[in-house]
Amino acid sequence: MSKMIEKKKIKGLLKEAVKQWHTYVPQKHIGGDVLIAPLPEEAKELEAALDNISLADDDLVISPKDIFFPQLETMFKFKKGEIAETVESSPKLLFGIKSCDLKGILFADEFFKRDFEDAYYLSRANERLIVVIGCINPPRPGACFCTSAKTGPFAEKGFDLQLVDNGESYFVETGSEKGEEFVAKYSGFFQDESGDAEKAVNSIKAKAEKAVELKIEFQKALDLMANDDFIPEEKYKRIGERCVYCGACVYTCPTCTCFNVFDNAKGDEGTRVRIWDACIFEGYTREASGHNPRNQKWLMACRRYEHKLKYDKAKTNMSGCVGCGRCLASCPVDIGMSKFVQEITEDKKIM
Amino acid sequence: MCTCNKKNEYIPYPAKIESVKKESFDTKTFRVRFTDKNLAESFQYKQGQFMEVSILGVGEAPISITSSPSRKGFLEFNIRATGKVTDAIHALKKGDALYLRGPYGNSFPLEELKGKNLYFIAGGIGLAPLRSLINMVMDNRDDFKHVKILYGAKTPADMCFADELEVWKKIPDTEVWLTVDKPCDAWGCSIGVVTELWKETDVHPENAVAIVCGPAIMIKFVTLALKKSGFAGKDIIMTLERYMKCGIGKCGHCNIAGKFVCTDGPVFSYEQVKAFPEKEHVI
Repeated sequence: MSKMIEKKKIKGLLKEAVKQWHTYVPQKHIGGDVLIAPLPEEAKELEAALDNISLADDDLVISPKDIFFPQLETMFKFKKGEIAETVESSPKLLFGIKSCDLKGILFADEFFKRDFEDAYYLSRANERLIVVIGCINPPRPGACFCTSAKTGPFAEKGFDLQLVDNGESYFVETGSEKGEEFVAKYSGFFQDESGDAEKAVNSIKAKAEKAVELKIEFQKALDLMANDDFIPEEKYKRIGERCVYCGACVYTCPTCTCFNVFDNAKGDEGTRVRIWDACIFEGYTREASGHNPRNQKWLMACRRYEHKLKYDKAKTNMSGCVGCGRCLASCPVDIGMSKFVQEITEDKKIM
Repeated sequence: MCTCNKKNEYIPYPAKIESVKKESFDTKTFRVRFTDKNLAESFQYKQGQFMEVSILGVGEAPISITSSPSRKGFLEFNIRATGKVTDAIHALKKGDALYLRGPYGNSFPLEELKGKNLYFIAGGIGLAPLRSLINMVMDNRDDFKHVKILYGAKTPADMCFADELEVWKKIPDTEVWLTVDKPCDAWGCSIGVVTELWKETDVHPENAVAIVCGPAIMIKFVTLALKKSGFAGKDIIMTLERYMKCGIGKCGHCNIAGKFVCTDGPVFSYEQVKAFPEKEHVI
């Protein structure tokens, strides 16, 4: 028999979960942005944070990639020549992420495992439980294109639990043994679903799919990109001329994982840290000699599209784009992956 | 503590500088040895690989290993002072600490080179990564046929490994040809870019492999000249330089068309390089 949970019980569940997990939940911050952040453990602070949680279809401005790959991360500390590793590892509960972002996490998992293992990412992501809440309405209307990228609005696999919004309650879908154990452990918060849940869930999902209005020919774009030198340079050059190279698309993207490394020291004591970097920045490929192999702006702009749609696909058989639409939503000059896909598949000028 | 199975690749190991030798007006060769005796003795690498070399508090830079794996116990790095990290390394003296992690990248295909005539063609500090292979060849001289080293630099003062060029010259079946763009009074060798040496000595593709390293523009003209001399793409091998921040295929900077120079390279054949899209400006 399938399970459900009443929305009014979510706070109580999270209060219990905090005792065992670092619990990451979307929370409304001052200014109105909704960001995924850990719940505090201290009772009073926790109460206040729970008042600000937001599990509706809010636009998580930054993807949850920073839970496992923080924007700024200490790699090790050093003092008088001695190195002390600073690898973080703790049980993490991601409660209420979207299916596109789940796909982003699964993609990053593969990347950080490939060839040399990335100790920092894998250690942070080692013990986790992911609860997806599917989108009833697209959080970034006009930018979200998960139905075209086949990543949402509901996940098919990869989650531990998935919640399906049914008004006053959520239907609970179990995607793993860990998910089942979670429901069993906190069984007091869940209840059996008596009616025809499957039919209701299917109907909710079908409606949610229709709500994603932006439809693009994503698969066709992947096929075209697989073909060498298909994209005329003029298209890239036009994007390159328009781009202001701010890096917003890269920072908000769930699958962008490039970073730079630098040392931060005072005297003989300090840290080595890594920080997100962006392939569209001019210094990204500049060598110490001053030589820069990617020295024209349009080359920096096109690099990102080729990476996501062509080379990632060729290497992993997964598209490096998950259709979340954040690049378009965050772009000050209205460039984004969906527009690029439209440009190359619809044979007309979109941007 | 790290909970993944393998060691944390980003943690460097301490090493001590054993000697510093000034090579050219802006490059020095640092001979270093891991502080941990067991590591110093058991450490293995291949000709053509590089390491991430750092000073704690200053930063880390990818540097090719210029010593030969045939000479054990120590590592040598030929470094040009050309940025924050390399400037700071140049200020170090014998006994100072450096931190190393690696070795990273693929290597020159030693087995495939056996029984071949070898042309080493280098520009400036490009001789540093080739020197690892050259000394490997010199230490196993009977395994290889005729060796020609064609080396060009801006001025005589830009030439690295001057003593060793003299040593190699005296080894049987080994020739060293030098050229500079701008000579000084005492210069007795050729004048002009390295391809000018084609006029002085035969560059013949028969049973031969050419190994090239230098600035991108030099590699471009050398490969053109080699193709003209009849070398097949697979018989031209080069080692590329890119901004390799992590060395292990994660940071993204050295990416060329879906490949990472740090893990798929830095050694590539001309054939592989020509397969990269033209707009990547590899050579």
